[in-house]
Formats: sequence, C-alpha cells, structure tokens
Amino acid sequence: MKTFIKVTEIWIPDKERTQLEFGSGLYGELIDFKADSEQLTFAYNEGLPGKAWAEGHPIVLTEFEHSYFKRTIAAKSAGLTCGIAIPIFSGDFLMAVVVFFCGDDEDHAGAIEVWDKNVNVENNLKVMNGYYGTLQHFETISRQLNMPKGQGLAGLAWESGMPVLVEDIGQATTFIRTQDAQLAGITVGISIPVYNNPNEPYILAFLSAKATPIAKRIQIWIPNKEGTQLICQQGYSKHNNDLAKIFETLPVTKGIGALGRVWLTGMPIITGNHEPGYNPELDNLSKMLAIPVIEQGRLKAIVSFLF
Amino acid sequence: MNRLNVLLIEDDPNITLLEDELKEIGFICLKTPYDSTFLTLVKDIAPNLIIFNLEIPSNALFADLQTLSHQLALPIIMFTRDNHIGTINQAIKADVCALIVGDVEHKRLNSIINVAIARFKHQQALKTALEEACAKLEDRKVTDQAKAILIKTQNFTEDEAYHTLRKLAMDRKITLGEMAKNVIAMSDLFK
Repeated sequence: MKTFIKVTEIWIPDKERTQLEFGSGLYGELIDFKADSEQLTFAYNEGLPGKAWAEGHPIVLTEFEHSYFKRTIAAKSAGLTCGIAIPIFSGDFLMAVVVFFCGDDEDHAGAIEVWDKNVNVENNLKVMNGYYGTLQHFETISRQLNMPKGQGLAGLAWESGMPVLVEDIGQATTFIRTQDAQLAGITVGISIPVYNNPNEPYILAFLSAKATPIAKRIQIWIPNKEGTQLICQQGYSKHNNDLAKIFETLPVTKGIGALGRVWLTGMPIITGNHEPGYNPELDNLSKMLAIPVIEQGRLKAIVSFLF
Repeated sequence: MNRLNVLLIEDDPNITLLEDELKEIGFICLKTPYDSTFLTLVKDIAPNLIIFNLEIPSNALFADLQTLSHQLALPIIMFTRDNHIGTINQAIKADVCALIVGDVEHKRLNSIINVAIARFKHQQALKTALEEACAKLEDRKVTDQAKAILIKTQNFTEDEAYHTLRKLAMDRKITLGEMAKNVIAMSDLFK
C-alpha cells in the first residue's frame, strides 16, 4: 500500500541544544536521500527543521528550489516535492522537530494543512500554508475558507486542544468541506493542535485519500482521568486490522514501551524496522512514528502513525 | 533418445572429441571456453547440464559455480587432471555432481551423465526437504514467540493465544507463521 508520506524524520537538539542533529528516520527505499540527510545538522533558523524551530509553528514548504531548504538536489532525485516540519515544544523549549516529505507520484491524493488564527475574523482559523498533492480544486476552496472555533477538523482541535480523528469524512456532519472532500476522494482526516498558547493556535490537519492514505494506521492515545495510564481513544486504518486492535486494548504506563517513553520524555519516537524490504510480503505495520501533543508542559495526547 | 541441452566448457577449442561424442549420444551441445561471461551465458541459454573438461579449474570458476548453485541449480560434471584435495573440496562446495580425475572414458560417458543427473535430482530433493524442515522449525519458533506475546499482553491461556493467532491468520488468508511474524513486528513497535 502506498502512503502519502514518503519520508519521516526526527531532528533533535544536540548536547548544547544550539543546533539540530539527526535523531531517526523512515526512508523506505530512498537510501541515497537517507545517506545525504543523516550526516546533516541544522542551526536555529537554518534549513527546514531550523526554520520550524525559529518560527515556532509547523511549516509546509512546497517549493524547494531558491528557498532556505538545504537538500534540494537530493530531494529532487528522490522524487520528493514537499516538506512539512513540525516543531514539538514544551513551553519555550524545543524538544524535537518532526519532518515529513511527500512525493510527486501522479496519483498521490491527500492534503497536509497548517491552520492559524485569522486576524480579520474573530475566533476563526484560516489556512496558513498547505500541500494538496494533485487536489488543486480542493486547495482553492480550502484557502478561501474561514474555520470557526469548534467547527470542522481544525476548529474542533482548537476548541478541545486535543487531536481529532474523523473517519468517513465525506459523511461527517462536523466537517465543513464535506462535499469538496467527497469530490477529492478524501475519506479520513486528523487534526493535531501544535501550540503552547490557545490564543495563538496552530493546527496541523492531515487529510487522507483511500488510494494513498497518510499512514497505514493512525491512533490517538490519551491519559486516563487519573493520569496514570495512556489509553487508546481511537485507531483507524483503511482495512480492518484486528491485530492492531488487540494492541490498542493495552494501557500504556509512563516510561514503559515506546509510547510510555514518549509520555515520559515528551520526545517523538520512531520504532520498528528501518531497513527497506522488511517483510514486504506481509504489507503490514512494521514502523511507527509517535508524536506527543503538549500544552503548557503537559502531555495531552500522543498521535501515532503506523506505516 | 536424449535431447538435452549440454553446455560444454573446454580448454582447447580445437579438440572436438568430447563434443562429437555428446552429439553422437544425442545431446544438443554448445561448446565454449571458460571466461568471465560464463554466468551470463548459462542464464541466456539455460542448459539442462554443464560439462567441464579442464586441465586445472580456476578459483574464479568455482566462485561462479557457487553463485550459480544459489541462482540456477544445474547438474554439473567436471573432467579434470587436477587431483589436489583443495580442488576436490571446492568442487564439492560448488555442488558438482560428478568429478572425474583423469581422461574422459568415452564408453562410460553416457552412464556418467545419467548418474550425475540422478545424483543432482536426489540432491535437489534433499535440499528442498531441508528447506521445508527449516521453514517449519522457524514457523514454530515464531509461533511460540507470538503466542508468548499474546499470553503476556492479553492474559490469554496458551490455547486462547493459539486460537487467536489462527483466527487472525485465517481472516487474512496467510499462514500461521506469517501471522506470528506480524504479531512480533507489531509488538516490536510498542516495545
């Protein structure tokens, strides 16, 4: 199964915390791009990860050439056309930057958007930047839209301060662009709040089409009422996955297992087999990216993307 | 009458004794000296049998034969004057079916070929049986490992773990071993 996201990276502050170094990554078959990337470091405001750090919010970069992007030649030869950098902050301090790259296949439908506060319309969000693959019409509609707080994927995430996963988006009453999404073949959406201060919201929205889903499975884990364990609130994949459901019944204890470590440290994590060609006949879930959602220094949720 | 394709590798292109004999027996025979294009040639013409008639087989040739045994196993007969123990060991490692040190005895040629082909078939059957046994053992190992994961994480009994695993495998139309690998891979993600 092809996924919309081709490459995933985690960049972490070095010992002095003055520049970003390679943490881990999922590159699939793109081993040359991996080799070019893992030796790099990025200073504050340098390259895509450094820029996201300096700006303090997610960035979508759709034009690599003649930009601050540092890996233009390598990305071009790997067929990557768009980069998304998501800084993970705990208060003022950067924990890590997660970077996604999308490709240039003809049939890669889907969208990744960053919404921020619309200064002209109170309590509304607007698309700050976004990548829409081949969905040009959907892009036009989206960029003209005002999203009120509490409505639509992004508005709901802003109101609740929590990630929101909507399955069967074409039928969802809460989604504002239902008809346009249906036309564009978008079936699933997830929005993730990436901010420290609710008055300056940044919402990341992933819209997933059936042919090229964002990931093979997406999960939202949240702390229980007592704050003693993480519980899987929602899990979604295109195909029913009973095995994943079994593992989603397991509560997570702080510090134990991959998700427990994300909770303990506030750091995103990549787990699983990083080598290309691992169990290809199974076409199954063998890699995971887990991103913490932190507000005012507290973990509110973990979103995991399984590939 | 035999109509098998034979690739004959000989040092001397001017001596056609063996080639003539093979044709007389009824084989279709292509004769060529050994060189670095040997593997490509074998893949291109896909012979039923390879016969070498060489004074001293080189290390490069044995390396090629080892590669060939992994990619396209074929019955191989080698006539040579080299009786060093090192050459014999290399021939065995390269899955040569018959190694005859000394002159080619033409009246025995047909029976040498028949024995070599029979030995090759027997070796292949043993290889397949060994691979199947190894795969079964591996399946059993991963199935036990996957059951242990389900027992530990889901508080299943061994029976429940086995039945869950089997149902998951049946739903996906894959083998128990493949399903067990899935469980292990999934468990690794959350480790």
